[in-house]
Amino acid sequence: MDGLKFVGKRIPKKDAPLKATGEAIYIQDLKVPGMLYGKILYSKYPHAKILKLDISKASALPGVKAVITGGDVPNNFKFGFLKDNPPLKSGKVLSTRDEIAAVAAVSQEIAEEAIDLIDVEYEELPGIFDPIEAMKEGAALVHEEFPSNVLKMPWKFVHGDVEAAKKESAFIAEDTFSTQWVTHCCLGTSGCVASFDVGNTLTMYSNTQIPSLAQGDFLEALKAFGLKNKRVRIIQTVIGGGFGSKLDTYAYEYIAILLALKTRRPVKIVFSREEEFLATSPRQPTITKISQGCDKDGKLTFREMAMVLDNGAYTSWGATTPSVMMVPISSLYKVPNIKYTAKCVYTNNTYSQAFRGYGNPQATFAIESCLDQLAEKAGIDPVEIRRINANESGEVTPQNFRITSCGMKDCIEEVVKRLDWKNKCKRGNGKGVGMASLIHVGGAARVYKSDGCGTIIKVDDNGKVDVITGASEIGQGSDTIIAQIVAEVLGIPMDDINVINNDTDVCPWDVGAHASRTTFVAGNSALGAAQKIKAQIMEIAAKNLGEPVDALDMQDGIIFSKNDKEKSIPLGKVLRKAHYSLGGRMLVAEHFYDPPNENFDQTFRGNLSVSYAYGAHGVEVEVDRETGQVKILNYIAAHDVGKAINPMLLEGQIYGGGLQGIGYALGERMIYDKGYLKNGNFLDYKMPTVRDVPPVQAVIVESDEQAGPFGAKGIGEPGLVPTAPAIANAIYDAVGVRIKDLPITPEKILRALKEKEGQKA
Amino acid sequence: MGSFEYLRPASISEAIALMEGSGGRGVYIAGGTDVMVLIRQKKIFPGCLISLRNIGDLAYLNTASGLAIGSAVTHNAIAKNEFIQKKYTALTDATNKVGSLQIRNVATMGGNICNAAPSADTACPLLVLDAQAVIAGKDGDRKVPIDDFFLGPNKVALKPGEILKGFAMPAFNGRTGSAYIKHTRRQAMDLPMLGVAARITIRIDGDEIGCKDALCTIDNISNILRRFEDEKLVCEDIRIAMGVVAPRPMRAKKAEEALKGKVISEALFEEIGEIAASECQPRDSIRGEAWYRRDMVKVLTRRAILRAVDRVIRPDDMIWPERLW
Repeated sequence: MDGLKFVGKRIPKKDAPLKATGEAIYIQDLKVPGMLYGKILYSKYPHAKILKLDISKASALPGVKAVITGGDVPNNFKFGFLKDNPPLKSGKVLSTRDEIAAVAAVSQEIAEEAIDLIDVEYEELPGIFDPIEAMKEGAALVHEEFPSNVLKMPWKFVHGDVEAAKKESAFIAEDTFSTQWVTHCCLGTSGCVASFDVGNTLTMYSNTQIPSLAQGDFLEALKAFGLKNKRVRIIQTVIGGGFGSKLDTYAYEYIAILLALKTRRPVKIVFSREEEFLATSPRQPTITKISQGCDKDGKLTFREMAMVLDNGAYTSWGATTPSVMMVPISSLYKVPNIKYTAKCVYTNNTYSQAFRGYGNPQATFAIESCLDQLAEKAGIDPVEIRRINANESGEVTPQNFRITSCGMKDCIEEVVKRLDWKNKCKRGNGKGVGMASLIHVGGAARVYKSDGCGTIIKVDDNGKVDVITGASEIGQGSDTIIAQIVAEVLGIPMDDINVINNDTDVCPWDVGAHASRTTFVAGNSALGAAQKIKAQIMEIAAKNLGEPVDALDMQDGIIFSKNDKEKSIPLGKVLRKAHYSLGGRMLVAEHFYDPPNENFDQTFRGNLSVSYAYGAHGVEVEVDRETGQVKILNYIAAHDVGKAINPMLLEGQIYGGGLQGIGYALGERMIYDKGYLKNGNFLDYKMPTVRDVPPVQAVIVESDEQAGPFGAKGIGEPGLVPTAPAIANAIYDAVGVRIKDLPITPEKILRALKEKEGQKA
Repeated sequence: MGSFEYLRPASISEAIALMEGSGGRGVYIAGGTDVMVLIRQKKIFPGCLISLRNIGDLAYLNTASGLAIGSAVTHNAIAKNEFIQKKYTALTDATNKVGSLQIRNVATMGGNICNAAPSADTACPLLVLDAQAVIAGKDGDRKVPIDDFFLGPNKVALKPGEILKGFAMPAFNGRTGSAYIKHTRRQAMDLPMLGVAARITIRIDGDEIGCKDALCTIDNISNILRRFEDEKLVCEDIRIAMGVVAPRPMRAKKAEEALKGKVISEALFEEIGEIAASECQPRDSIRGEAWYRRDMVKVLTRRAILRAVDRVIRPDDMIWPERLW
């Protein structure tokens, strides 16, 4: 694909100047005339009866305009994936993040003061905090209206005959792995401003990742609140990171709506950092039993996995993460026989949600750690077993994924070469290397009824282009990618393209910024719209120049004849001619791209994604045997991305994902003790700092995906998928201990080393 | 955040008078990196903040005899001071690792000490450097050994109204080195899981101490020490201090006693580490488990003494740390 002028180039992000100068308006900055400030009171206990809730003092505080409690939620409205979550809880609380009252006041300070004046008496109840305990027969029910703490979502995938394969396997490795709660740590905390006009149209200023779905959720809420047939408009402010945290609607948004309705004034709720830790939904902790086998040559024979997920007290979209966990479980490497079950279990803990990778990192940690165990049993080098079983183009996997482009082997070889694997493994001097691979959806993922995205392109009289897209820019750079694609098709400079992405009154539908889908889906949508508008432009230009359409081309905003370069006309002139003539026209084109992927059927089969992303990470570590501390000496992240539309942004995704993965592997965890969050701040939540960044090489492998825009596949999530197992495998190579429980802290390593030496810690 | 008055006295006596007049609702503020956090967390509700920032008498750094540092000197000013880097290196180690550069630019050592967290980074170095706290009160100055200044978590030996004026440390001979090791989970913006500081003065009969060949500049200190074995390096004086292993930063006095006067070796330091570990009383907390902290006292005591010895033997390497930002 030679001759590309914009696609494939390292073009800085369009919004970089705004963000660098502080001009970007985040939800934190937004002020709407007449706006009040909302604040939420959370439960003091993880499980308790509310005996008394007295708001009289708070209501009497000057400046307070409304105080609401569970009784103010009309029609017993509940939200969430299973509609089990009232925006304000009454009678009983089920977790420490349960919202029990909220205030709207003329200032943030008064709202906070009013919250402190609300008088609550509780009767504490024993809680259930361990999903294994919660699954036991006779366990107290978190939701008394449901028969069991296990969610009625029977996640089960079976392919082939695992039992028979076990008997035929030459080697089998089995073990149990567990993972922790981690949170997104967006620089921009969650927030919204809810505002009603006189006709009760709701405008929500929000930093959501899912404007179209949120619009639907809020419409449903309005209906429950007695406002039928109303309109909802979502206006996204500049979004300071999402990572899945803004992939659902939350109680605070419904509370802002209720407060705005009650006061008839706009109400803003923005989370403090402490609130962001407490009241947003982390990655789900998992306990995974895994067993994998291979024949005497190292060919995988089966994979069996049973998983328990801590759902927390309420259910979000995150309860569907087992569907994406199935991607690596069924299809990472060629495995003929698969059995997988997963249970999501209610507890009195915080409820979990989507987080970059959507379950894939948890599953891959177990698979790739266990694969090294299997390789050791079989006496095969960890690289070799991955080579033997690597996925390939043309494969149809057990879940009926049709593998198109596949650069997995190339990624593995890049890691082997750049890490100097042969010389670096099995040194026994406290230094070691490890690797892990990944598969993820790379061409959207049909988890919702539609997986589409719309684009409208309009051009003005001066040759400037507005691209109106459904895609959400959450910092990943979708605006820049979309502009590059349109610039490439039209042959006009990047600066002539304006991307509008933030208003449901204007922008076409999109399912949201998730599943690493935006470049693929919004990119294809923009590509289609650009081609349509180009056809219109060329048709008019052809008439003006007296040349056939297919003889024309456009570069730098000039349309010319390929036969006779003298024959040319600037784009603006074409557009003015079209506009200012009898029966004049303005040029607009629209394109809705819904990828040809499939929803899962009853057996969880179906081509979830049009294409699949692959990658391999390799890491060299040094372990301090006396302190258990791990130092990353070298980190290679090789990713099959189809085609890098913008290598600079793409590397940013790999660096960011890799670092988030390193945090997941080595340090980050939300410490919950019997339902109480103990480290809800950046001092005690050990997100890596810039000083902790190891040398990372982002390696781009291009496999030219035919279905992707200019050959591109998704890269949003893959960067953190194989990080933890690669590091765990490297630690094993370095000092011979395998840590199966994330995060891999110095304590765990030291304890394991002592146990290995027969000492007691 | 509630409202409060912000007062800016120009002298120590004026500050003390303002505090007296505040009716018990005044709080001294220097860098503010602890005080403002407490206010925002609604842990304290001061009626007025009395700033110590503009008081020149609190901002001195004097090297004429030993080392005298005013309480309002910032961490970064201490970290960047070349005299301290050479002669009181443990202080450089500690001030360099507090928070982030932004915090180090405003946070003062006096504040770090008066906050009296068991994890205060500068406490252990001051303990091993035999610092005295200079305290200014209505009736003049008094001096308290730093070991007696810490009373418990967030409690120091300041009477109402008194201001910590600064720290006085004696001069040590050229055969002295010191080091502080902060054990953390990440490289910046972190409190120590534990911290260990050591100061050692080495005596050798006859020749002066110092590496004489090229190997010495690249080898690690354990090997170098082994090469010195015949020359009988003796520990003339030693201080060891530990943080986060007790309600207040503490000296490992038994360990010091066991090392003083002995011929030094890495094996001996190992034993000293064991003794230090037996002296501390670490607790389990979300920041670290007790057994691990105790184990790390063993390891880090040995490493801190080794590093201090290294700085005597190889003074050219004393510009620390490797990355100065």
